[in-house]
Amino acid sequence: MAAIAAFVTLTELIPFVACADTNAAHWAFMSLRNPAIPVQPLEASGATHPIDAFVAARLAEKNLKASPEADRLTLIRRLYFVMLGMPPAPTEVKAFLDDKRPLAFERLVEQVLADPRYGERWGRHWLDVIRFAESNGFETNRERTEAWRFRDYVIAAFNDDKPYDRFVREQIAGDSLGVDVATGFLVAGPVDIVGSPDVVLTSQQRSDELDDMVSTTGTAFLGLTLGCARCHAHKFDPISQAEYYSMTALFAGVRHGDRPLPLPPERKAEGTRLEAKIADLEKNLAPFIAKPAVAATGSDRAGLPLRPPVNPLLNEETLTPIEARHVRFTILQSAGEPCIDELEIWSGSRNVALASMGTKALASGTLPGYEIHKLEHINDGRPGNSRSWISSEAGRGWVQLEFAQQQTIDRIVWGRDREGHFKDRLAIRYRIEAGLTTNAWQVIASSDDRQPIQGATEKPSGPVYNFAAAAPPDAARGRRLLLELEEARKARETAAKAPSVYAGQFSQPGPTYRLHRGDPMQKREAVPPATLGLFQPLTLDAGAPERERRLKLAEWVASSDNPLTPRVLVNRIWQHHFGVGLVSTPNDFGKNGAAPTHPELLDWLARNFISRGWSIKSLQRLILTSATWRQSSAPRNEALKADAGTRLLWRFPPRRLEAEAIRDSILEVSGNLDRTVGGPSYFLHDVDRENVYHYHPKEEFGRPEARRMVYAFKVRMEQDGIFGAFDCPDGSLVTPRRSMSTTPLQALNLFNSRFMLGQSDMLARRLRVEAGESEEAQVLRAWQLVFNRNPAREESDGAAAFARAEGMSALCRAVLNSNEFLFIP
Amino acid sequence: MTRHTASLPSPLLSRRRFLSDAGMGLSAIALTHLLSRQGLLAANVSGKEAIRPEMHPGHPYAPRLAHFEPRARNVLVIFCSGACSQLDTFDYKPELIRLHGQPMPGAGKLITFQGEQGALAKSPWTFRPRGQSGKMISDLVPHLGALADDLCFIHSMQGKTNTHGPGENYMSTGYALDGFPSVGAWVTYALGSDDQSLPAYVAIPDPRGKPQNSVNNWAPGFLPAAFQGTDFNATSPIRNLARPGSISPSTDISTRRFLQRLNERHAEQFPGDSELAARIASYELAARMQLTIPEVADLSSEPAHILRLYGADDSGSKIADTRAAYARNCILARRLLEKGVRFVQLFNGAYQTGGEGVSNWDGHKDIFNQYSVHGPVLDKPTAGLLLDLKQRGLLKNTLVVWCTEFGRMPTFQKGSQGRDHNPSGFTCWMAGAGVKQGYSHGATDEFGYKAAVDIVTVPDLHATILHLLGLDHERLTYYHNGLERRLTNVSGEIVKAVLA
Repeated sequence: MAAIAAFVTLTELIPFVACADTNAAHWAFMSLRNPAIPVQPLEASGATHPIDAFVAARLAEKNLKASPEADRLTLIRRLYFVMLGMPPAPTEVKAFLDDKRPLAFERLVEQVLADPRYGERWGRHWLDVIRFAESNGFETNRERTEAWRFRDYVIAAFNDDKPYDRFVREQIAGDSLGVDVATGFLVAGPVDIVGSPDVVLTSQQRSDELDDMVSTTGTAFLGLTLGCARCHAHKFDPISQAEYYSMTALFAGVRHGDRPLPLPPERKAEGTRLEAKIADLEKNLAPFIAKPAVAATGSDRAGLPLRPPVNPLLNEETLTPIEARHVRFTILQSAGEPCIDELEIWSGSRNVALASMGTKALASGTLPGYEIHKLEHINDGRPGNSRSWISSEAGRGWVQLEFAQQQTIDRIVWGRDREGHFKDRLAIRYRIEAGLTTNAWQVIASSDDRQPIQGATEKPSGPVYNFAAAAPPDAARGRRLLLELEEARKARETAAKAPSVYAGQFSQPGPTYRLHRGDPMQKREAVPPATLGLFQPLTLDAGAPERERRLKLAEWVASSDNPLTPRVLVNRIWQHHFGVGLVSTPNDFGKNGAAPTHPELLDWLARNFISRGWSIKSLQRLILTSATWRQSSAPRNEALKADAGTRLLWRFPPRRLEAEAIRDSILEVSGNLDRTVGGPSYFLHDVDRENVYHYHPKEEFGRPEARRMVYAFKVRMEQDGIFGAFDCPDGSLVTPRRSMSTTPLQALNLFNSRFMLGQSDMLARRLRVEAGESEEAQVLRAWQLVFNRNPAREESDGAAAFARAEGMSALCRAVLNSNEFLFIP
Repeated sequence: MTRHTASLPSPLLSRRRFLSDAGMGLSAIALTHLLSRQGLLAANVSGKEAIRPEMHPGHPYAPRLAHFEPRARNVLVIFCSGACSQLDTFDYKPELIRLHGQPMPGAGKLITFQGEQGALAKSPWTFRPRGQSGKMISDLVPHLGALADDLCFIHSMQGKTNTHGPGENYMSTGYALDGFPSVGAWVTYALGSDDQSLPAYVAIPDPRGKPQNSVNNWAPGFLPAAFQGTDFNATSPIRNLARPGSISPSTDISTRRFLQRLNERHAEQFPGDSELAARIASYELAARMQLTIPEVADLSSEPAHILRLYGADDSGSKIADTRAAYARNCILARRLLEKGVRFVQLFNGAYQTGGEGVSNWDGHKDIFNQYSVHGPVLDKPTAGLLLDLKQRGLLKNTLVVWCTEFGRMPTFQKGSQGRDHNPSGFTCWMAGAGVKQGYSHGATDEFGYKAAVDIVTVPDLHATILHLLGLDHERLTYYHNGLERRLTNVSGEIVKAVLA
């Protein structure tokens, strides 16, 4: 009954008719069972492997039998495609065929598990599950230049066989575990960065960001569609709306953005040394400071003389120190579109506005079309008109800076053009506000207490060291000190510059509320940060520290008492070995998901997985050495009739390679693959970096693009021009299982693209180099490289005749398009 | 052509389920058995169960039956990117003219997308009664105005986001977020196509470039890639369509034949494997497309009076050149519909260098000067397209939907001569198969600010489009990531009042 109702997921209007009292009984929410390995089929079939015993038991129910073992050529090719994402080299094939000792296949499995290409292949599967991409998505779609470090972390985690429970914990709370880069998981999804004063819009954007984090955590680790409880209680699973918002409270302090990685100790020490030196120099220079401007606002200023008028060169605002995360500079009046060349915000001796400190800039709009006037110039540490920001609107505009973390700020310095060439576009009336959040602004400075501007002003109103008044020897010393100070400041900036990663920024959040119908404008009661009530729920104090929230969640998710986490992962791994998981709905283990085909096997594997220290490689070793995985893929009529979908695994189900594996395999057999591991992404697109980024698929490729596709800059919305058509997801949504469609565009791309013709030529050249001039020898080599086998006599004759008539490149073009090349056998 | 009820929640097409067309009966029985074991069969659920189209993987575009008798066979969507102002085109508001220059009553201090709002601003263009119906339409679009008696207006559209990217997503996919399938993808997934030598779903980007949210507007989302819109227009062809110049025609043909032999030989080891057969079939379809697409995109056979009707023969100014380029896209749209392409999405306006409102309808700054370009570019060619569809009898089978991502404010932005974004109320119109003619549905308030009478949401519009195609929007589903997904998510009411 429950299952039938579950099918009607769609229609909101149809009430959920499954009985509420069956909630607890749903198989996936129950503890892992400890099923006995079936004995009966073991004896009957002679199987000795636990997986085979479970599979044989299910087959026996249908009067089916497993297929015989595939031949060695098929086995090594299948193993390489599945585990490494490309075919073996002919030498590797030969070594395997020649290994007549027992356990040859087991040794091959070890070799493959130790191959660095393994992590690249399996890391890619994980990146699908967590919707990783390197651009923001939505209309701006800007790039995240530091996101690749997280991709490398994932690849390394697979290669190092990082225990999965640890892998889970690090991705949720890596900053507490000494692995900062891992929290790239939290912000791997899309984000809408279009700013607006419209509070409805900005609340909705924030609400969507949090939903993305909560939903992805739910599906990726738990196989639960938590996002369904955003607007109302989950229709199928026991998840209330309050629980959903309690989960969002666990992420409420996470924001999108780069985060500097911790500085190495020696750089830290250098920074401290320079700080001291700077403080010392500043002290010595203090007597030379020209009388500083004092800014205050509102009633505090009553009776004080007005400050100097605004100045195109430099303006300084001295503040009563204030805690802030955000600072907004709003221009209320200017002639033409206003310009600011650099906005400095000082916390003691540090300019915390700098982008290199992790500070992000937003603006009302930027005058489009000028390389020299871009928002990123506002805090790049380089003053002057040629590195400045100009508003998109005449007479107004705003810039908003968000620090990587809360700062105590005490001074703001800004100008129109510190190099003194331009005096137009000056902000004549302005207001500067600060806040811990973007909805609690406090005015900290403004033009209200400045004298009105009268004609052209020349002098900067910032702090100026005045040496003219001092005695000549003192002045000389002062000038020398100033020079030293400037150098020390520069050195400090360099020392403080840590590599950063797109791994989110953390700050203490305020209270979280349940939102009526998911509408951010309809706040209801406050909810505490808490995990789901499904098992061993954990509730934290409303004011629990940000970091603790995620750490507790991480421990809860990765606890061996949590039955979903191991089941979901084991199923994912199984899926990528056989094409479909034991549960065919890998992201939904709830009541609406599919039931497992082999429930006992799933639990047995999950227990085994935990007992082997959550080792993914151990799990794979187990699967790969089973007869089930090694059996032939040849169809058998009577079995097809009973189980056309091969869900019971009476044969190995063959399937097409995915986009990345196709591209990598082509480069591999043409001899062109660059196997360099890790590092910044290469581009498959030409990028227009305007306010809105545009990505145009490249037509010409060179050496940088000959690396594996997992290292290609992953763009949202725009696909690679050739392989994108092979159901390649773009990271906009999580993709637990790729669709495998067959389209004429795929055929056109693979048959006609310049890339493919180039690779065909290169393969033809390789054949000549490796096999000599004879067409027959070249065909033999082609078959060995592309299909890992020798051609039959009539194949060889036909192919050689074709090559003689049309050229070896034409032959290569055909074999690289063939089904045999693109299917896992 | 088959119509089946729901099956395994697999994100794939039917894959190996079909041994062959002939063996289908048997495997269907086996499948039924398997499914009932898994408790996933939807049988016995009264008339509301999901209907997921069954298709042979080798023929994803084969025509499939609708859920019930359709009113329309094909769809043409004309999408004005950038948010076309309802108040300067089709939504006539006398109060706006009367109170021009005054603050909007009851609006208080209005903050919209770009900030503070100034006073109410009447349209710079005069509205006049058009056609027999006397529908008031502005002088910005006189050619479309002349067709007022053929159009079916919905003046009470309401969106839910005021940014372009999410707004375009919402209109094109039913979701403001990225990653969901477009209407055209849903429709071709459900119905396939009547033509087997052209893509089932074609998106025609504006000659000036792609819309703000680019390919998301014709994305397959989580549907199989087969249902992605293929984008090309009269000036830029499909990538990789043509035989590469370096390959001679004879080599190309014999390479195809050789590939076919390789594949057939390989398939012998996997008798009845539909995926292998599908790949072989896809090369055949690709070869047909290589011939048919250049043919359909070649407008040289169009007579002078047709070029004139669309304005495709215009030149002599920047506006005329742009109009002529858009007009050629309009002719291409007609040619595709003529061939039986199921879903054509024609864009007017593009995101492009030069800032907001320069190459699309995003008139924040100076609506008079910006729309003085966009109006003429849209008007004559689009009207020509409608007239041409009508005179060829294509409007009988084709549903035309004119839309935009959201509307604009009745006020000018403070300190500017343009209108800010406004998702609260805007206009779309339909024409052709199955909809009323010379009819207006719903209304905004007296200033054209918010939809006030018979509000129509975007899912309502989508439900209506599917309904006209004979599809039940509550039952056309696809399983993804734990959910049976629908185009209309959890809402959508058919706008019955617009049905003829």
